[in-house]
Amino acid sequence: MPFSIVAQIAVSGALMGLVYALVAYGFQLTYATSKSINFGQGELVMVSAFVSLSLIDLGLPYWAVVPLGLLFGALLGLAVERAAVRLALEQKSEGWILLTIITGLFLFSAAENVWGRDDRPFPTPIPSAPIHLLGVDVTGLEISVAVGVLAVMGLVELFKRRTLLGKAFEAVSADRDAGELMGISATRTVMLSYALSGGVAALAGILVSPITTVGPTMASAMILKAFSVAVVAGLESGFGVVVVGLFLGALEGLASLYIGSGWREAPGLALLILALAVRPTGVFGKAVIRKV
Amino acid sequence: MLKRLLLVRGAEIALFALLAALPLWVQSSYALGLLTLLAIYGILLIGLDVTVGYLGQVNLAQAAFLGLGAYVAGIGATRFGLGIPATLLLSCGFTTLVGALLALPALRLDGPQFALATLSFTALCSTALNEMEWLTNGAQGLSITRPPLLGHLLTPRDFFWVCLALLALTWVMMRNLLSSQWGRAFEALRDSPIATDAMGVGTYRHKVAAFAFGSGLGGIAGALYAFNFQYLQPQSYVYELTVVLLLGVVLGGRKSLWGAVVGAALVALLPNLLSNPVLFRAFAVIGFAMAAIAAVRGLVRRSTRPFQALAPVVATGALVLGSFLQKNTEDWRKAIFALMLFSVVVGLPEGLMGFAAGALARLFRVAPPPLPPAASLDEVLPARATTGEPLLEVRALHRHFGGVKAVDGVDLTVRAGTIHGLIGPNGSGKSTLVNVVSGLYTPTSGELLLRGLPLPRGSLLQASRAGVARTFQNLQLFTGMTTLENVMVALRGAYRLPLPLVLAGFGRPEERRAQAEALALLALVGLEAEARTPVMDLTYGAQRFLEMARALARKPELLILDEPAAGLAHPDVVRQVEVIRRIHARGVTIVLIEHHMDVVTSLCDVVTVLDGGRVIAEGPPDQVKREPRVIAAYLGATAAEPDGPGPVAGAPAAG
Amino acid sequence: MLIVTNLHAGYGLSEVLEGASLNVKAGTVVALIGANGAGKTTTMRAISGLITPTRGEVLLDGKPVQGLGAAKVARLGLAHSPEGRKVFAPLSAEDNLLLGAFPWLPRFFGFRKKAAPDLERVYGLFPKLAERRLQLAGTLSGGEQQMLAIGRALMARPKVMLLDEPSMGLAPVIVQEVFRTIERLKAEGMTMLLVEQFARAALEVADYAYVMERGRIAVEGTPAELSRDERVLAAYLG
Repeated sequence: MPFSIVAQIAVSGALMGLVYALVAYGFQLTYATSKSINFGQGELVMVSAFVSLSLIDLGLPYWAVVPLGLLFGALLGLAVERAAVRLALEQKSEGWILLTIITGLFLFSAAENVWGRDDRPFPTPIPSAPIHLLGVDVTGLEISVAVGVLAVMGLVELFKRRTLLGKAFEAVSADRDAGELMGISATRTVMLSYALSGGVAALAGILVSPITTVGPTMASAMILKAFSVAVVAGLESGFGVVVVGLFLGALEGLASLYIGSGWREAPGLALLILALAVRPTGVFGKAVIRKV
Repeated sequence: MLKRLLLVRGAEIALFALLAALPLWVQSSYALGLLTLLAIYGILLIGLDVTVGYLGQVNLAQAAFLGLGAYVAGIGATRFGLGIPATLLLSCGFTTLVGALLALPALRLDGPQFALATLSFTALCSTALNEMEWLTNGAQGLSITRPPLLGHLLTPRDFFWVCLALLALTWVMMRNLLSSQWGRAFEALRDSPIATDAMGVGTYRHKVAAFAFGSGLGGIAGALYAFNFQYLQPQSYVYELTVVLLLGVVLGGRKSLWGAVVGAALVALLPNLLSNPVLFRAFAVIGFAMAAIAAVRGLVRRSTRPFQALAPVVATGALVLGSFLQKNTEDWRKAIFALMLFSVVVGLPEGLMGFAAGALARLFRVAPPPLPPAASLDEVLPARATTGEPLLEVRALHRHFGGVKAVDGVDLTVRAGTIHGLIGPNGSGKSTLVNVVSGLYTPTSGELLLRGLPLPRGSLLQASRAGVARTFQNLQLFTGMTTLENVMVALRGAYRLPLPLVLAGFGRPEERRAQAEALALLALVGLEAEARTPVMDLTYGAQRFLEMARALARKPELLILDEPAAGLAHPDVVRQVEVIRRIHARGVTIVLIEHHMDVVTSLCDVVTVLDGGRVIAEGPPDQVKREPRVIAAYLGATAAEPDGPGPVAGAPAAG
Repeated sequence: MLIVTNLHAGYGLSEVLEGASLNVKAGTVVALIGANGAGKTTTMRAISGLITPTRGEVLLDGKPVQGLGAAKVARLGLAHSPEGRKVFAPLSAEDNLLLGAFPWLPRFFGFRKKAAPDLERVYGLFPKLAERRLQLAGTLSGGEQQMLAIGRALMARPKVMLLDEPSMGLAPVIVQEVFRTIERLKAEGMTMLLVEQFARAALEVADYAYVMERGRIAVEGTPAELSRDERVLAAYLG
């Protein structure tokens, strides 16, 4: 097989990998404040994409739909936090794992019935014509994905590291009670992180929809890979998810090329289980010092 | 005793007798199919409950094991002509093995990461079953004919009885397992994995074994599933089924055999419930009424938070509305599952059986069987001769954390039969030193010898088995258990019976002996009257004493006490000095970290003072207390006087 | 400044506090002593709102604050340095201090500049912390973490400070330093409620003291009065 085709597939795969990285980053955001993640994040991606599509169908221009879609994602994130996470966190139980799975299941079923089971195209003003770059063809859509993902992650990282509220995120995660004693409302901090996470999920949906089309199952495969990225990279490092996302995306492209498209997800899943065996806290995660 | 037998065993026998007799009256093949499915799901859910209930981990892989078991059985029967017993064994063996292989990496994690790993495994299996067409026939599906059992062609009714018999067998084995040391180990490792390792019970290997066991049950259920439906498709074993199975366990009640079977019944009946609008409406309305009653009660008594009371009402309310407004409930199946599951997880986190068990326990008080008399202490903890030769030798030990040199070249010799004090300012490396010796941390460099032999490095479990026992500065008791059970978990050499015999129910004599030994140790620390008390109800002082008794159950050569008097009030400190003397009199060598200087002075033969990760002084307590370096680094101005201010040694100078 | 009346609280169904009442006047140090499990820490947690009292009243500077939740109570001027120090281990010492001032600092930018004078004050009080300002709090020694916990509470510019077992698990030489710090804050006019295992040391710095037994106040009085009480002497002062 000529090298140029292999390179082309690897690059396209890697750019898709950035979307996984973005969804995985959504896990990191909530994990940072509450050590919890939304197992129904994929449904947030999908429902936000559907709502954005409906807004476009109503005649709104694309650039007005993007912020509205993000807002809707944030609201949905807040709803998940209220319905599935808060009670479990207050009781210091892991009930949120089950409850977020359940809300995801509900959203999936609702979407199936509201918007139907068919895949639908997502119109976008971003050109899909390929541009020749360093020997491979990259479409405008793919570039928009890369730019959108990296820009948003950069902004959120800046917020987390440079502002007092961002530091409060880490404080609440380190010790919820002590954070409360400093006047930091743990509940509001967790809410904010879920809103951000929902917004990030919506962005992933809006960015990827023009490439994959919109349907109830559009995120089912994506979410598994986002899980892989999050676990392999560790749930703490924003830089890590980008690197692992790129790698996994490229690997996936190559796997479908060499083993067959039915197996495209297998390397990522196997990688996940293997990575856990070697480094349980993730490749970019901090080693945990056990304390007694 | 009799009452206990009648009530507990009687209910179990009644359940199985009823299930076995049902097909004699119920002739419809449809109902028989449901009963068979119930028995299969019962086995599957008991297996799932091992991880979800007893290990406390959200396991999303059980559907995959069902699928693997089913395909192994199906392929074995169709391609290789194996009979039912052989395929059952093969399925069980294969899934146990795969379960162990998955558990080895996955159980190094917990919480969300474990759930993710198992979820990925399910996806991977589903891909593999779909894509390996040469073996599984892929998406077209695999047809199977049910082979005869021992020459008999099985009617559907016979097959149900086979499934039911296997469920009963699983039930009995599981009960035997849980009432043995294994059950206690499961409980212990959820409460404190660190203490479980330190008490010589391998946390990790128990978790892996438990997961593999549960997976094996999944495999058996899978084989039966294959022979029941006689047609397999890869799509049947995916995420959705996994969620439904979790629904069963949670709805029925975790950590309960009854719960698993009740959950299985609900899961088996659920699809039929949804396809019949009248039934579904009735069910929704009943659920709504129950949620509403529970909400009103909870709010009036203020025993539940408003969200916990109201959310199930809203969710079941939505079900009721939906059941009357929507014609095609099939389309909304997942949403209906979701609402039901949501109501149960939020409103009834203990599940139906958890809820019922609480009520039943109040109705029929069944006393636990009486305890045996305590064994003699000489048998449990034979007095050792105290020779004075070096027991623990630490040479040039370093332990660094990043740039912080917590232990920076320590040499230390602890002689057999002594009480060796370890003092120093906070951050001087005392705790790190004993954490390295007891195996919590791996040393960065240096040598550790116990009786001249290298001590296992960086493994609490191995160090504990080599003869080092310890207590913890911040208590690490197994809080879900009684005082006696805490000691029994740690008992060294008490459990020798191989697992198959434990499963078969031969573990009872061993249990009695272990109880007797544990009682003797409780008597040594003065807690014999609290044997049945849940740890949570012990006073803080008693908990400190219990940690000592538990460490002694390791029958250690070297006992490390990490600040045993921290936070104790004066009378308890006095008692504790007494207990430590008694332990020492059995010939146990003790390393004592303590800030109460009068405790150190009155107990220790030798005291080593650490500062900045190095030894700055060593010798008899009175001598060490006068050394200027020790006064400057640790004791401060006033406490250097021999008659310091009692147990509040270290109180500041006035003004 | 802080008046607690008939406070009831507990965990789950078990009630630990059964009607505790105490009064901390502005500018005084009040000690709360008692055996383990008597309810001292629960009292602190119920006052600062970490647990919701089932009954009773907490007045902070004349305003009822019971049931508001810890974050609100903290913003109203109560700083609670909890048992076990509870510093934010993965954050630097300075970030810990900055978060202590969370109630009055801007949320996004410019907070460092605004907090500078208060940081200077804390570093003046604990020069060791200035040396370790960029070190992660989790890697500080127990003594330094205690200084950090007190400093963090001071950063809030509180009306009242609650100190729960500031000497727990500390070497004698550090315990002396902690008590010197408390003396110094008292001299500066800080109002404090102090829970201590070292009863004698606590009584030396306190203006008034309460002895707790099984969730209630058993004895109260000035340190001089308590030191004359036979029962208190036997049970708590060794």
